[in-house]
Amino acid sequence: MPDRTRPLRGAFPRLWAFAMEHLLLLPAGAAIALVWVNASPETYYGFVYAIAFVVNDVAMVFFFALMTKEVVEAAAPDGVLHPWRRALLPVIAAVGATTLSALIHVRLVEALDEPALAIAWPVALGTDVAVSYFVARIVFRRHLVPFVLIIAIACDALGFVAIAVFQPAADLHLGAAALVMTGAIGLAIALRRARVTSFWPYVLGAGGLSWYALYRGGLHPALALVPIMPLLPHAARDPGFFVDASPDARDALSRFEIVWRHPAQVSLFFFGLVNAGVPFRALEAGTLGLPIATLLGRPVGLLIGSAAALAAGLHLPHRCGWREVVVAGFAVAIGFSVGLFFCAALLPPGQLRSETSMGVLMTLAGAPAALVAARLLRVGRFSRHSHD
Amino acid sequence: MTSPGRARSTLVVAAAAVAGLVAGAAALPNLSDSLKFAAIGDNGTGDRAQYEVAGQMTRLHATFPFELVIMLGDNMYGGQSPADFVKKFEQPYAALLKANVQFQASLGNHDRPANVSYKPYNMNGQRYYTFVRKHVRFFALDSTLMDKKQLDWIEAALKDSRDEWKICYFHHPLYSDAARHGSSVDLRLLLEPIFVRYGVDVVFSGHDHVYERVKPQKGIYYFVSGAAGQLRKGNMRLNAQTAALFDQDQSFLALEVAGADMHFEAISRVGKVVDSGVIHRRQAP
Repeated sequence: MPDRTRPLRGAFPRLWAFAMEHLLLLPAGAAIALVWVNASPETYYGFVYAIAFVVNDVAMVFFFALMTKEVVEAAAPDGVLHPWRRALLPVIAAVGATTLSALIHVRLVEALDEPALAIAWPVALGTDVAVSYFVARIVFRRHLVPFVLIIAIACDALGFVAIAVFQPAADLHLGAAALVMTGAIGLAIALRRARVTSFWPYVLGAGGLSWYALYRGGLHPALALVPIMPLLPHAARDPGFFVDASPDARDALSRFEIVWRHPAQVSLFFFGLVNAGVPFRALEAGTLGLPIATLLGRPVGLLIGSAAALAAGLHLPHRCGWREVVVAGFAVAIGFSVGLFFCAALLPPGQLRSETSMGVLMTLAGAPAALVAARLLRVGRFSRHSHD
Repeated sequence: MTSPGRARSTLVVAAAAVAGLVAGAAALPNLSDSLKFAAIGDNGTGDRAQYEVAGQMTRLHATFPFELVIMLGDNMYGGQSPADFVKKFEQPYAALLKANVQFQASLGNHDRPANVSYKPYNMNGQRYYTFVRKHVRFFALDSTLMDKKQLDWIEAALKDSRDEWKICYFHHPLYSDAARHGSSVDLRLLLEPIFVRYGVDVVFSGHDHVYERVKPQKGIYYFVSGAAGQLRKGNMRLNAQTAALFDQDQSFLALEVAGADMHFEAISRVGKVVDSGVIHRRQAP
């Protein structure tokens, strides 16, 4: 008898590989969450409350570790962050982009008669580096992608600082955190000096201590491996941003990525599932505050920040003018993963989190906005003299 | 010709009123040593309807001298300047304020967080707090920002309370059958276990601009009273958990706690009693 399940069983690995390659697990988790919470909120929230800690505070450690890995490699020779002076103008521009986005958010939610949403302003700083990178790749191809990446990373860094400083519900114990974190970093340094090449002692030893330091200190433990990853032995040169490590790579950082890149994507699926469930009936006019703030604030803020940097004597990248900066602004307006993370870190369950989460999902409009803007302004692949 | 929705609402209200009359004292007994209070939600519009509801409250106060008004959030809409506080609070409730009726507010999503410091709300700068009147302890919560600190606080406060009645009030309803917002299930899963464990008797909420009395859920009575200024006409969807509803006009609640009984009347903008009844406290604390 012919095996009718064979085509289906054969299709699943291909689907899985496709989803992995195109980073579709997060959007898939988010889509399922949206349907589930609106169909059966009791079962959804029961499930979410049961696993939220494991997903947000433990599993996401590996996602942020991999993002840090990309940044660490980018700072190596041939990397987009090398030399560091290259990053100065985009970082200043990012300050402009995030400041304006946050200011617009605060003013807008007041005007939309939901002033309680103002405390969510740090969420307006969150940028999904991966999505922004892929949008930039489509628009600019290779040219200016590093410029967009640095802005995205800088926005997130500013967002993390904002969350840590302005987190409204946190009970901070910074002294205890600093003490234990010193131990964690000390252990990582000792491992590196002892030329330990396996990543496991760094992750379990130093990373475990770092996790405890952040958790005990009232800071977000998902960032536990961020201070540890730079101390892992890594390759001398950057293989490329979001370029998978070669299977033959022997350095600890590359081996970490090889082992954890797929499990990290599974984490992202559950992250989307846990954090993107927004009951539509919770939404009010204030929901629009965040997407408008970022879609308006990023391009305009980048222009202002870039102008300030130029006035200070810095230079835009080659063949980058105000049009390219505007398009870059739309590309980095996409909050998605990091925006949802900031939302969950900052806001407890309830209407504020629902509205802000939906606002984060709506910032995905930055992707088509970047393409439309590029088309209208004749930027990147749409320019008359595209060299990409 | 009456719309189907209006007929439905009228039918339910009539049935509920009859049930209330049969079940117990429909009118408030107005005893000398009872706790009398009112509940209003989503009131701060500054428009004519709010003033008319406030007028009904003032008229009621002349014969039923309630000492307290609990505010269920969205106490202010739109601008919240000093002039707005006059127009949307001090003027409509002037007679009650003059009669020393104390207002105890909780915040909604339309309220500025800084309003905790507005003296006539008696929040003393706190987003969540508790106070006692006679043998009733009230717990005012901030459901807009239900963080872990607040959850820990309410659990400890309820556990420590030895009062006969425990009443919680906050903006977002744990149970609501209004079409616009409905039940805040995310909050329900956090708060209901605590309420059940520590014997909360009644919960008042607003947010949905209707009146609804929900059948007891795990022994707790729930009221949605979010139409003291705002109104979403015809927004209710009949559900098996609905005991009574009224969505055709603005309304407020008048309540009297006497011993182990809580008598209530939901009164419309034009002074009509649209729901009434009595709640018997489950057990002695």
